[in-house]
Amino acid sequence: MNILVNFAVWFIGLFQAGAATFTGLVTGIIPLVIVLMTAFNALVALIGPERIDKLAQAAGRPGFWYTPIRFLILPVVSVFILTNPMAYTMGRFLPEKNKPGFYDAAVSFVHPPLGIFPHVNPGELFVWLGIAAGVTTGYGAAATAQLAILYLITGLIVIYIRGMWTQFLTNRTWNDEAAAAASAE
Amino acid sequence: MKRFSKILERVGRGAGRVVGTLYQAGRDSIDQVLKNILPFMAFIAFIIGIINATRVGTAIANALVPLASNVIGLIIMSLIIGFPLLSPLLGPGAVIAQIIGSLLGTQFANKALPLAMALPALWAINPQVGCDFIPVGLALGEAEPYTVEVGVPAVLTSRFFTGPLAVIIAWLFTLVVY
Repeated sequence: MNILVNFAVWFIGLFQAGAATFTGLVTGIIPLVIVLMTAFNALVALIGPERIDKLAQAAGRPGFWYTPIRFLILPVVSVFILTNPMAYTMGRFLPEKNKPGFYDAAVSFVHPPLGIFPHVNPGELFVWLGIAAGVTTGYGAAATAQLAILYLITGLIVIYIRGMWTQFLTNRTWNDEAAAAASAE
Repeated sequence: MKRFSKILERVGRGAGRVVGTLYQAGRDSIDQVLKNILPFMAFIAFIIGIINATRVGTAIANALVPLASNVIGLIIMSLIIGFPLLSPLLGPGAVIAQIIGSLLGTQFANKALPLAMALPALWAINPQVGCDFIPVGLALGEAEPYTVEVGVPAVLTSRFFTGPLAVIIAWLFTLVVY
């Protein structure tokens, strides 16, 4: 009998530990995420997503000086306003050659802002939150806030490098004749 | 009087628009929480609960902590996850990144991992981001089939380099900040 009781206690203990984790996540994180997401969803709706079309047209111009618009400003603004996955539609204003680099930069920016702007990709919140929740428990909320800002800043640097590097690799294999032949078919 | 009613109408319309937008924003947020965030929390809570209550946690910690407690280990992790053949398989729904992140999170929670490794770790678990989605993402940007043909390998091979590079950049940042 004792064995059965001990087993039952151990068995339910597995799920009680999960329930405690769940309570912590729900009460500690969901209220803030809901309020933040509501604020930014409303802001985006009031700005109007169609206003970034012009920016996207400028980003497609040739020349090195437009690359920060193409691989930094446009991905950031698209992800903030259109969110994942609609942000990638902004690629339609760019020349074909630039699309892979833009996609790489934009898709790499759907997680770095999550600590401050969860509305950009709430379905994948735990890419950030898994580590962030642990940091909050172990090192406090201030450390997590600092981490959120650092994640965002490094994100800006990384997406620009990714965009440029993917652009370089695309250019290396790109063949204008093959592209023309493929689109003529 | 006519002017006054015009102002009233304008104010009323403006207020109605703002309130309606805010209300819709709230509805969208609650939708997201119910459909995406809460189910994932339930899933993560279940896994972490089991891990905390059994010895599995110690085993995982023994495997992950040595890899995640220094920058070389994190670079190796990003090389594995960002490998061009693996990255499209590990990408979908960012599930792998979210699970590894949560496992690492438990080790930050009990201070087995130093705070300085949190930023490089965030980058190390995620070099595969979007690698499963390249053709769809390019199609959303109305790319030609030829662009997809060239673009998919370009992004995949690019990640094998920029994935570890992101870890190094993050590590340099933490050297300055912490």
